[in-house]
Amino acid sequence: MKSLGSIRNDFAPWREPQAQPFIRFEAITKRFGQFNAVDDLSLSIFKGEFFALLGASGCGKSTLLRMLAGFETPTSGRVILDGDDLAGIPPYRRPVNMMFQSYALFPHMSVAKNIAFGLKREGMPKGEIAARVEQVLKLVKLQDYARRRPDQLSGGQRQRVALARSLAKRPKVLLLDEPLGALDKKLREETQFELTDLQYELGTTFIMVTHDQEEAMTMADRIAVMDKGRIVQVATPAEIYEAPKSRFVADFVGDVNLFDGTVQAVDRGRITLQTSAGSPFTVTSDVAVSNGQAVTFVLRPEKLRIAAEPLSGANVLEGEVWDIAYVGPVTSFHIRLANGAVVKVAMINATRESPLQLTWHDRAWLQFDEDAGLVLTA
Amino acid sequence: MARSAREASGETQTRPARKTISQPGPDTRGWFRRIVIGVPFFWLFALFLVPFLIVFKISLSEVVTAMPPYQPTFGSIAGWWSALKEFSFDNYRWIAGDPLYFNSYVLSLGIAAASTVLTLLLAYPLAYGISKASPAWRTSLVMLVILPFWTSFLIRVYAWIAILKPEGLLNQLLLWLRVIDQPLVILNTPTAIFIGIVYSYLPFMILPIYASLERMDQSLIEAAADLGATPFKTFWTVTFPLSLPGVIAGCFLVFIPATGEFVIPDLLGGSRTLMIGKTVWLEFFTNRDWPVASAVTVVLVIILVLPIVLFQRVQARAQ
Repeated sequence: MKSLGSIRNDFAPWREPQAQPFIRFEAITKRFGQFNAVDDLSLSIFKGEFFALLGASGCGKSTLLRMLAGFETPTSGRVILDGDDLAGIPPYRRPVNMMFQSYALFPHMSVAKNIAFGLKREGMPKGEIAARVEQVLKLVKLQDYARRRPDQLSGGQRQRVALARSLAKRPKVLLLDEPLGALDKKLREETQFELTDLQYELGTTFIMVTHDQEEAMTMADRIAVMDKGRIVQVATPAEIYEAPKSRFVADFVGDVNLFDGTVQAVDRGRITLQTSAGSPFTVTSDVAVSNGQAVTFVLRPEKLRIAAEPLSGANVLEGEVWDIAYVGPVTSFHIRLANGAVVKVAMINATRESPLQLTWHDRAWLQFDEDAGLVLTA
Repeated sequence: MARSAREASGETQTRPARKTISQPGPDTRGWFRRIVIGVPFFWLFALFLVPFLIVFKISLSEVVTAMPPYQPTFGSIAGWWSALKEFSFDNYRWIAGDPLYFNSYVLSLGIAAASTVLTLLLAYPLAYGISKASPAWRTSLVMLVILPFWTSFLIRVYAWIAILKPEGLLNQLLLWLRVIDQPLVILNTPTAIFIGIVYSYLPFMILPIYASLERMDQSLIEAAADLGATPFKTFWTVTFPLSLPGVIAGCFLVFIPATGEFVIPDLLGGSRTLMIGKTVWLEFFTNRDWPVASAVTVVLVIILVLPIVLFQRVQARAQ
């Protein structure tokens, strides 16, 4: 397989045909009244994976997580964990722990008591509990906060306590429901890496639910993109971004330009596309298409070059600068084409002084390589 | 630039005029706030503190056969000083000396405590059930809890006489069901008092407990289950501790009025159960000993208020 993105994946049990999945959702349906929250969904997750369920609110991702935790019962289908069917097993007997979106820290207990709660229920001896509490507090760097109450902690500290509490029992699977949702941006970015490191260190299988694609891409080994109770694609972050299977995934994950076109000619992996954006595009693709077929051409903003002068060669678009946003690492342009469509372009600010000087309503020319985009038939 | 500056200056010219017309100045608002806060405080002052001080003053007086039946009285400003010198704590000494009062206090506190516990045992499951009901049902169920208030308290207590008396509804039912072959004697016993108090004060216990249960974060219950707590353990380690503020408020709301309860023991408890409310009534109306009755009342207030104040101190320090 050709490598997408810039990360080499050494850990990829999903590519090994003999690997046994650790968690299996088998044809799961969950109905609330007339509404199918999860619709005939099957999914395998492997041991040691950091797996993300990504989707808009109401797509069924939380319901799926809650079925694994035992808070919801599937209407039909089976959930299998480490070879055991979880049907009929109440939440308090499942070898999984959950970190709640609201953290759900017990407000009447100290940090240490919160963490010890699950261990006490196990009947662990007192000395061992104390040692374990200290160990997980160290893991989340909160050793000095054991005696505080949750209301005496900051949002970030509370998040760590919730994490420590859910890890204390050394669950087979840790479920994270929007783990960073309540943190501010800066803290969220720091915590993302900490969580990834922690997961790597512990080797525990993590399953995370999030609506934030950046969060999912930063942390997860694999992402399942969900829509209307179904999974639309399961793949690594790079595959999701660079090789989305459908228009929905392409549009949901990251910024994207979508061109509707018809195939004009196919010649050994090179396709000529007619779109309303201007002269035909010539692109490489291994998708099987035939002449006259309607397809979608997907082009990420950072894969376009922008210039203030006319460009020669193939795959050039011309338009007017409609909007500019200087974001810091990139400058984002919205270029309005003659047909009225707006194309998003992201220019990396590789140097402090930009050679390109553009302002609103200037003419601008865009160009992309033959292999920069993706032809989708779905 | 020039235009915006002109607009800005125009704005500053018109603003003060507009302000005085449409908005009350800070002064009037301050006064309004003081009045709003002041009215309830005045109410408490005039209708609780002043009467209490009068009662306290009477408790320091001496009983006489006159109208009013105590002395000294503040006839004129000049008589104040001599009147003050006549005050004594004799009535308190009298109360302390006679075991009748002591027994009456102990009995009242005992009955109030026991019926508070009974009310709690009945109210907690009810409040819990209501808080677990679907939102559509919850409103109706809370309505049902407060529905008895639509009928006079006195009438409801009289109704219990009809239910509990030997030939009353309860005995008729039990006889008909052949559970008993002799009518039970419930009316005019402490049991009837318990029934009356638990029945009458149940809503005061249910509502605060329900309020604390209802606003509890459901994810805490899930978190407890997730960490391995059985539903039983979850209840005792999470749900119950977090509903304690409601439980405590409910207990106060039941215990305090139950201690001084007069109507229920008088109508349902018969003459043998001498609770403190009845004692005060007897001193006032039968003995016409206003000073002793007042002293009994003052002692009761102290008995009730001191623990509450201490408890709140402890609570405040704990937070």
